[in-house]
Amino acid sequence: MPLPPNRVDYSPIIDRPVIKWPNDARVALWIAPNVEHYEYEPEFDGHRDPWPRMPYPDVQQYSYRDYGNRVGFWRMADVLDKHDIRCCVSLNMAVLEHFPEIGEAMVQRNWDFMSHGIYNTRYLNHYTEEQEREFYRDTIDTLKQHTGKQLKGMLGPAISGTERTPDLMAEAGLIYHTDWMHDDQPVPIRVESGKLVSVPYSIELNDAPLFRQHYEGDYFAEICKAQFDQLYQEGAHSGRVMCIALHPYLIGQPHRARYLDDVLGYIMSHDGVWQTTADDIAEYYIANYYDEAMAHAAKLNG
Amino acid sequence: MPAERRFGMDHPHYDWSPLNTRGILRWPDNARVALCVIVNLEHPEWDPPADSFTTPFSGGLGARGFPDYARLSHREYGHRVGIFRVLDTLRKHGIPATVAMDAMTAENYPYLVRHCQEAGAEIIGHGVSLSQMISSNMSEDAEREYISQSVAALTRATGSAPAGWLGPEYGESNRTPQLLSEAGLRYVCDWVNDEQPYPLHSPHGEMFTLPVMWELDDVSALWERRVVVGRYQQLLEESFETLYEDGQQNGRVMALNLHPWLIGQPFRIGYLDRALGLMMRRGGVWAATGSQIVDWYRDNPPTA
Repeated sequence: MPLPPNRVDYSPIIDRPVIKWPNDARVALWIAPNVEHYEYEPEFDGHRDPWPRMPYPDVQQYSYRDYGNRVGFWRMADVLDKHDIRCCVSLNMAVLEHFPEIGEAMVQRNWDFMSHGIYNTRYLNHYTEEQEREFYRDTIDTLKQHTGKQLKGMLGPAISGTERTPDLMAEAGLIYHTDWMHDDQPVPIRVESGKLVSVPYSIELNDAPLFRQHYEGDYFAEICKAQFDQLYQEGAHSGRVMCIALHPYLIGQPHRARYLDDVLGYIMSHDGVWQTTADDIAEYYIANYYDEAMAHAAKLNG
Repeated sequence: MPAERRFGMDHPHYDWSPLNTRGILRWPDNARVALCVIVNLEHPEWDPPADSFTTPFSGGLGARGFPDYARLSHREYGHRVGIFRVLDTLRKHGIPATVAMDAMTAENYPYLVRHCQEAGAEIIGHGVSLSQMISSNMSEDAEREYISQSVAALTRATGSAPAGWLGPEYGESNRTPQLLSEAGLRYVCDWVNDEQPYPLHSPHGEMFTLPVMWELDDVSALWERRVVVGRYQQLLEESFETLYEDGQQNGRVMALNLHPWLIGQPFRIGYLDRALGLMMRRGGVWAATGSQIVDWYRDNPPTA
């Protein structure tokens, strides 16, 4: 039996079935822009304060995020287009309702979407089971209505969840959860019914935690390249996943977008890169490796 | 209790001893620096006991609400992925690992115990879990039981009792060195105040400190102080250069405390690799486990 939360069997990366990505790629690269909306006057849930600096509204912080939708998104999209990147957006679904031009721009590019909740100011932690079920229905329906796409995965809103989250996601038909920072490959997550995997997201190659500190674009480029070099080397033996997580209000700043350009130019100049989405990584893994990985881990854990 | 205004330390654990007044410490083959790399394998509990004490996970992601999948699984990365990169890097440079392993890891990750042993690592005590630090909140009996639980788990898992100890998050009460000694441990790494081992006072037998460089602890540098990783490589190298120079007169120990969930990330490991490569290309560096260093020190104490 794995340790609480009893979701993940231990499986060391050096002792697993070998993963072969399509076309023998070494690294599955997915780019995850977090396209978000933070409410002007959110309802405080009594636990996590969206705008802790001052009584609502906090216009400085609100408009800093809003810059991402008005300006940053478009600059970021230009850089991504230059490198023919097809993203998997971490999407606050209400963006589709508030800002349809952004929805259209993403649909035109045939990007994929994972849920990042409805708003980045509404967290799951204190949802009842029924509220959380309704939440999945809402996100699935909203995405379908505005993009025609079937929702397959989630990064919890502001990375929040409940103990029931993996079970309820799988029950709603989702196949991947990216709140887990535990691996460089997809990992089966135990659920009551169906199949759910984690797809490696990144809390480190992520402009939000980085640029809230003293780090800047040049450092972001340096560590993204170093990450790629290491995974590319290891991926010659067994496929790895690399995610770069973006926020348009940060990476879309005029002084930063060039570093995204630099990183993508570097990575995409290599052969053996599967530039893909979390949707496709999860589907491919479940179709080809899920059962084998479960059996292997069961054997290893006796 | 508050200090009395008199000569020496304000606690009973060791004597005041400025480095410049000591005798000369000679390492094997007159090495200038004894290099010890401690690798932490520690488990943060999903739901720690209500009365347990911990820092807000010194390092690691800021806490989100329960259940905090991201923060806990970020730590688990070390057990699943990072540890193997770190051990590979140490093996590449001929450095034997000293693995500080908590009881929950020893009990629930037999694969890792076996892997560390096969890699020639010395496994030392590291408490019960990351989420249960030793502190003065514990009663003496509770602390004794805690240490015993940790030692018993390692003994069962590895086949022998650990010789060394590093408390989770360097946590101690004012009794800890004596209780560790009573439990049969011979050295402790919680005290970050020296560049040589030194003896601790204990009624239960010989006990030593193997001092760690706290500023070079990857959590302290990379996470708490947000040193950029290229600069961290330089800190390791510059520290080494100074210790190497000073060690020509009087032997030094350079004990690094590393966390696989952090330094074992793909973009960080290369910087450690380059720093250790610089050190190990130099003659006069003795890469050793904690026990080897402490045993040598005991058998070859500094001489005037």
